[in-house]
Amino acid sequence: MTATALARRPGAFATAGVLRTVDHKDIGIMYVLLGIAFLAIGGLEALLLRVQLATPGEHVLDPSTYDQIFTMHGITMIFLVAIPMLVGFANYVVPLQIGAEDVAFPRLNALSFWLTLSGGVLLYLSFVAGGAPDAGWFAYAPLTEPAHAVGNGMDWYIFGLAVSGAGTIIGAINLAVTILLMRCPGMVMGRAPMFTWMVLITSVLIIAAYPILTSALVMLLVDRQLGGRFFDPAGGGNATLWQHLFWSFGHPEVYIVVLPAFGMISEIIPVFSGKPLFGYRFVAASGIAIGFLSFGVWAHHMFAVGLGDAENAFFSATSMLIAVPTGVKVFNWLATMWRGRIRLAMPMVFAIGFIATFVIGGLTGVSLAVVPIDLYTTDSYYVVGHLHYVLFGGTMMAVFAGLYYWFPKVTGRLLGHRLGLAHFWLTLVGLTLAFLPMHLLGIEGMPRRVWTYPPGMGWDWPNLVSTIGSFLIAAGAIALAANVWRSLRAGERAGDDPWDAFTLEWSTASPPPSYNFDAIPQVRGKRPLWDRKHPDRMDPL
Amino acid sequence: MASSLEPIVVLSLVVGAIAAVIFAGVLVALIVFTIRYRDVRTGSAPQIHGHRALEIAWTGAPLALLAIIFVLSLVTLGQIGQGATFGSLEPPLHVDVIGHQWWFEFRYPGGAVTANELHVPVGVPIELDLSSADVIHDLWVPELGAKSDVVPGQRNVMRLFTARAGTFSGECAEFCGLEHAWMRVLVVAEPRADFDRWIAAQSAPASGTAGRGLEIVRSAVCSSCHVVRGQVAGTPIGPDLTHIASRTTIAGGVLANTADALRAWIGDPQRYKPGALMPKVPLSSDDLDAVVAYLESLK
Repeated sequence: MTATALARRPGAFATAGVLRTVDHKDIGIMYVLLGIAFLAIGGLEALLLRVQLATPGEHVLDPSTYDQIFTMHGITMIFLVAIPMLVGFANYVVPLQIGAEDVAFPRLNALSFWLTLSGGVLLYLSFVAGGAPDAGWFAYAPLTEPAHAVGNGMDWYIFGLAVSGAGTIIGAINLAVTILLMRCPGMVMGRAPMFTWMVLITSVLIIAAYPILTSALVMLLVDRQLGGRFFDPAGGGNATLWQHLFWSFGHPEVYIVVLPAFGMISEIIPVFSGKPLFGYRFVAASGIAIGFLSFGVWAHHMFAVGLGDAENAFFSATSMLIAVPTGVKVFNWLATMWRGRIRLAMPMVFAIGFIATFVIGGLTGVSLAVVPIDLYTTDSYYVVGHLHYVLFGGTMMAVFAGLYYWFPKVTGRLLGHRLGLAHFWLTLVGLTLAFLPMHLLGIEGMPRRVWTYPPGMGWDWPNLVSTIGSFLIAAGAIALAANVWRSLRAGERAGDDPWDAFTLEWSTASPPPSYNFDAIPQVRGKRPLWDRKHPDRMDPL
Repeated sequence: MASSLEPIVVLSLVVGAIAAVIFAGVLVALIVFTIRYRDVRTGSAPQIHGHRALEIAWTGAPLALLAIIFVLSLVTLGQIGQGATFGSLEPPLHVDVIGHQWWFEFRYPGGAVTANELHVPVGVPIELDLSSADVIHDLWVPELGAKSDVVPGQRNVMRLFTARAGTFSGECAEFCGLEHAWMRVLVVAEPRADFDRWIAAQSAPASGTAGRGLEIVRSAVCSSCHVVRGQVAGTPIGPDLTHIASRTTIAGGVLANTADALRAWIGDPQRYKPGALMPKVPLSSDDLDAVVAYLESLK
């Protein structure tokens, strides 16, 4: 094959090519398509939840169905949307950014994709095999113990997450080795693009965090199928052990799905500001700091568990510390825009939107690290609002920015600007209406994960507004789908470098040939394409 | 102090104001830069790679701000945490709280037992000893501030306080299965004299009207899960019914406690709270009336 199979031959999905491919670009596209498919499913689940909660005492869903759907919505969005989308972008972009032909282990790369897909299929088989998992995405024991979870939903949860998790671990090892060993001549780590940097840190986090989840899943399996008692206090086990294990994985997981988003924003803002990334070393170092700190903050999910004031104070301090490197990134993005020459193309529009919405999620995150405030807001809708600002206002907005940014590289065609703006404004207004009132609901005392609620609590109108917002987000997604559809058929040709960008992926054809580069690139600085285009004003070494 | 919520509100206002200023600053910079440096207005951009002093400034300033917030949070924690007195000189009232799927049981020192309705005297710190009969629950009364998980195999202690009489709505905040939504509680804060009268009445054994209703409750499946102190020596799995007629709601807040609602609930619990552990008991219409009449007499 002389070209990217999927991009050059739209019929590839009808052939066995897709089953055989080990090209990082094909696999990257497959990952993103997998993420988009599950985004549609997880999004429909969200709409069902919002319809049920639109008014008090609604009976669109019964409690059993509601619990399965809110659980699957969370699992889907985290493990089957955020992870595949980000791993997909990393797969496609990183080898190109570092001037490599492919990833270090192309066959393992294919294996990790198929494992992730298999995990997703296992999770969704539960619906036709007697019931989906229904204990929330973090599945607190002892509610998941055999005495309280009688169906097989939790077993599907265990196998689905273990299998997709294995795929994620293998993929992370692959990406880490690729970044560490396959950079082109001249690209020392101190010159690597920021997205590559963040993918490297993310990969290390995955390698360290996912095995904890796998271990906890195995322990739960022992409890459920072999009569174990790890998480059952009635049998000498410990009810909060699961929470410690889960959040030891779960909080790094938050950064696993946020750091690559930071990387995307750190690519897009400089390009569309016509300036280098302000404070490259600080932005990279702050990513490393976040990575380290992310392993020391897990118990901020557990302030109400009764660990004691001293333990809570410790985890409060570490959690607040994470705001410092996160703030450093935001300030550096703003400083990059300062005195720039800002082009408001769609990737930049979404990147600006990302900063505005992500900062809200970051600030409410700090409030949740403050123990007394957390003791009021935890397990309320305030947390639901916060996490959606981080994961949707943060990760998804960045993924959208990345989609508009790299789509022309992948397909050779630009996405439309007018439909792009429709997508952006529907998404921004929609997410504000959907998620901002949730903070108010939490402050007004509405607990999370309730299938219905009584009238007269002051919860009626914020819930209705939130439901309306969720449908605006869905309308935005339809605008995006229409945009992609139109561009694939008749979009403007992109050429190699439609954005006047800085990094190596824009120095090859769109889409790139299967071997990526005609000749192995050689770089001397952080912005190889800038140096090539401006031999008189090359970056200082 | 007006209530155990007050210190949290004060701290939240401080943190909220700081967060609002930061957000406003970022938003203004974002909008101003986007407009001011738009390509239609500017020529080429200066290639600025960074500024060490600025980096140190925006690493250090947030660190200092967070240190202040952290210290303030410790002060607040001291005001609401273990052993807090909320400025009251009264000795705390101890109440045992037991979480069940899907209702809360409250046990008072003098033997009074209620379900889903916690009466407290105003101006007295309330010390809640929390434990669970099954899975993890969480007791939260928003108007009284902090919440605490209710963990099986573990005893958590939480102190609440109010100087104001009133009825406060609360709930289970930790997802605990099918009817997590209908695990609601009412906290009735009343002047000391009213509370003393209430606790005396609740501590007394039942004085329900003897008759057919009592016979059915004694003999039928009712007593395999319910106790009426002094009249029905049942197994204490479901709520204690000794003074059920004095409560405002039934079934974890699903229904108001009226004769009609009681009748409807006992006739078909799953219709009102699908998943609830109370089964549908086959009673004739006359028997149902008798049971409701008996329960209504349990003042």
